[in-house]
Amino acid sequence: MYVNEMVEEASVHNRPERKKRLGLLFWICVGWIALNLLAAALANVLPLQNPIFQNYASVNAGPSLHHLLGTDDLGRDIFSRIVFGSRVSIEVSLGAMVIGFGVGAPLGMLAAYRRGKFDSILSSVMYVFLAFPAIIATIAVLSFWTPRSLLKIIVVIGVASIPLVYRVIRSAAMTVATKDYVVAAKVQGATDRRILMKELLPNVAPIGISFLLVGIATVVTLEGALAFLGLSVNAPTPSWGNMINESLAILQTNPWLAIFPSLAMCLFLLCLNFIGDRLRAHFDVSEGKL
Amino acid sequence: MSDSTQPLLKVRDLTVTFGSHRRKLSAVAGISFDIYEGETLGLVGESGCGKSTTGKALMRIVEPSSGTIELEGIELTTKKGKDLRNFRTRMQMIFQDPISSLNPRRRVKDIVAEPLDCWKTVEGAEREALVNDLLSKVGIDPVAYGDRYARQFSGGQCQRISIARSLAMRPKLLICDEMVSALDVSVQAQILNLLEDLKAEYGLTLLFIAHDLAVVKNVSDRVAVMYLGKICEIGPSDTLYESPEHPYTKFLLGAALEADPDSPIHGDVLSGEPPSPMNPPSGCRFRTRCPNATDKCANEEPQLVEIATGHQVACHYPLSTLARK
Amino acid sequence: MSTERKLLVVKDLATTFHTPSGPLAAVGGVSFDLNQNETLGIVGESGSGKTVLSRTIMGLQPRNNVEVSGSVLLNGFEVVGASEKEKRSIWGLEVAMIFQDPMTSLNPVMRIGKQIDEILRVRLGMDRQAAKAKAIDLLDLVGISSPAERYNVFPGELSGGMRQRVVIATALAGSPKLLMADEPTTGLDVTIQAQILNLLEELKERMQMSVVLVTHDLGVVATRTSRIIVMYAGRIVEMGSTREVFARHRMPYTRALLEGSPKVSNPSHTRLLAIPGRPPNMLNLPKGCSFAPRCSFATDRCREERPELEAASEPGHTFACWNPLPVKERASA
Repeated sequence: MYVNEMVEEASVHNRPERKKRLGLLFWICVGWIALNLLAAALANVLPLQNPIFQNYASVNAGPSLHHLLGTDDLGRDIFSRIVFGSRVSIEVSLGAMVIGFGVGAPLGMLAAYRRGKFDSILSSVMYVFLAFPAIIATIAVLSFWTPRSLLKIIVVIGVASIPLVYRVIRSAAMTVATKDYVVAAKVQGATDRRILMKELLPNVAPIGISFLLVGIATVVTLEGALAFLGLSVNAPTPSWGNMINESLAILQTNPWLAIFPSLAMCLFLLCLNFIGDRLRAHFDVSEGKL
Repeated sequence: MSDSTQPLLKVRDLTVTFGSHRRKLSAVAGISFDIYEGETLGLVGESGCGKSTTGKALMRIVEPSSGTIELEGIELTTKKGKDLRNFRTRMQMIFQDPISSLNPRRRVKDIVAEPLDCWKTVEGAEREALVNDLLSKVGIDPVAYGDRYARQFSGGQCQRISIARSLAMRPKLLICDEMVSALDVSVQAQILNLLEDLKAEYGLTLLFIAHDLAVVKNVSDRVAVMYLGKICEIGPSDTLYESPEHPYTKFLLGAALEADPDSPIHGDVLSGEPPSPMNPPSGCRFRTRCPNATDKCANEEPQLVEIATGHQVACHYPLSTLARK
Repeated sequence: MSTERKLLVVKDLATTFHTPSGPLAAVGGVSFDLNQNETLGIVGESGSGKTVLSRTIMGLQPRNNVEVSGSVLLNGFEVVGASEKEKRSIWGLEVAMIFQDPMTSLNPVMRIGKQIDEILRVRLGMDRQAAKAKAIDLLDLVGISSPAERYNVFPGELSGGMRQRVVIATALAGSPKLLMADEPTTGLDVTIQAQILNLLEELKERMQMSVVLVTHDLGVVATRTSRIIVMYAGRIVEMGSTREVFARHRMPYTRALLEGSPKVSNPSHTRLLAIPGRPPNMLNLPKGCSFAPRCSFATDRCREERPELEAASEPGHTFACWNPLPVKERASA
């Protein structure tokens, strides 16, 4: 540790900051995620086959020129179902995170900055919610709240994520809020709002962003799990989760049906997590000085 | 030093208590002092004596439990919200840790301009000119370094930037809380000299809080010594260092290490450690470690008494009276 | 003085870290020796290499990305190049070290007595009872009152000064011949600092050991050491008897250190001698004298050619400077 201090001490002297590189792999991951998002957004205008058109002439076909990734047991094009299925996964995860971060992040920052009663009451409430296993609660609510719709799924997962987001953002903001520069801003006469926006937010944001990416990845899996239990969007609308679910029955005859949606989901998650990791390291002020 | 009778800052019976009624900790247990315009008051003491808490209470970073703080005749302890914000321009503070007192993600120019932006006093080119002027005053080249981020600077430079920021609104009183203790000797000298220069240029009044006796003497006109939340002695720095009246001051000075091989090593080192401020001794707080303590010290708390002009001591048996006997 | 009496002989010692930004010569060729029962002070600012030097002497350096050359002969044992196992045979018995933050060198979840015990049992092969008795003796030796009761407390229950005393007790458990103290009193209050320094001095006499006191504080070394080494940017810039260096230093950096620190005996508002700039970037050291960019006496030669240590008038006093300060008259000192 003392070596690091030395090296840091020695290297910190007024040199223009060295450009930190994110690496090729990072950009490949970003590219893949961008491709996914683009495909999901433009699914309707892309020359894709109808994802719910059942072509009984070619059932359980393997990959071919006509069906890039083959067809399922009802003769639907798997490639097109994966693209359309990504819409559900992405809509649910983004929507849920908008709710989770929209509520959890400001509350977390405010609690860390204000402390005192506000913080202790809010934190107790959040911890009570955290004590429920989120996935069980989500399953329970979704089983009773029928008929299911995409919006309901988003709301349920989003609300369930609020305490998690709150906890992460609060602890990140707490380390910032105790720094002297926050006190200094206060004694210069900065308003609370200004301190939150100018001092706290920029220092909490990197942690928030990397947690956001992890959150999206988690919701994608959660949606998969819900679909697997038949609690996500209703058939025949595809989602990665319910495609995998449907594939189980015919795993023996058509493994492609399980492999391709799983692969799509896996790659998506891997890329998200990698991006989150790299971004956190990249924006960390203390780390990576060398 | 001005001979005006009205002090710039008047502190009376200031107390700061932490914790709830069960576990109460009086970090500052009723202190009174004045700071006159243009002077530097040094506040020394060992860790846990309440010197930093005093500074923070004056800035209302921690809330005083009782007592009054008057700046230019205006009572501050009752101020709230907007009123409190308004007085912030009159008093500023510089912190111990130079690195953590600057937001690592902001540019130096913006950091120094922060007070100006908060108050919207100047804008545009005027703001730019003022920031450049402040940075040059503290020895940071605004052209070369103004656009750099705070994290790219060393401790000494960060402390310079902090000083520039604190001067932006032209405060009357500057509170320096251990501002050089994290710096190397050669950098410390630069900052202390700079502080003296800026004090003269900006007509500042300083409260200089530090644990280093030599540093405090170097910058101060008067010095107050704190022990366990109380002021035990206050007086002109040269007199206080030469002929301390409080036994604690004497021990403190005796323990100070002089960078001089010929300076005597004091055999009579103060033994033991300060008692817990949770449960301070009755009467005089120093009596448990004081060689001269009597029953009177346990029963009766000594008050600050003027023993010579401007030299006050809170001791039943000041050292000069002991010597006479 | 014959070489047999030297406890420690350091020759051309260099420690270089290989960092992603290039080699960093934390210690760049240092030679000195230490007599038995002597206290040596090593003074320097942050980044001067004093801490790396003391750790290299101990043989404590990271396994990777570091290169140590030269020689450290500690009571006949060559530390440089020795294996971990060989070094373990001298740690604690020949040489021990105390650090700035006592909390990091104590195990927070182990009773302090046990921590001393363990060293005694493992290193000296004492049995349980003898070890406990010795541990209590040691706690008593370092001035911890009612040692038998304190034997059972955890480090967290002690104050900083008390903890440092415990650390000293653990260091002394194996009766080392050399005690390396790295900023032992930094972070302690002045009155506690005085207690610890007095204790170290007393223990040094009592246990007949040598002490190396590494510090940034000239006040700490002024009265407690017989010789001092002043370091700057990984090299020795001045070395000699403490009295001589304080009174008749030749290197401008030493003067800056001495006259740059405020003194209790000086009147208020004494202008300090402030040198510009700050210690150099160790990854990019100047070609000549490392101090030249901050030195008001620097000439072209200083910027081109690095000065080596040369002898001053008093034996043992050396300095590295092309334009040394004039010798002060003895009478005036």
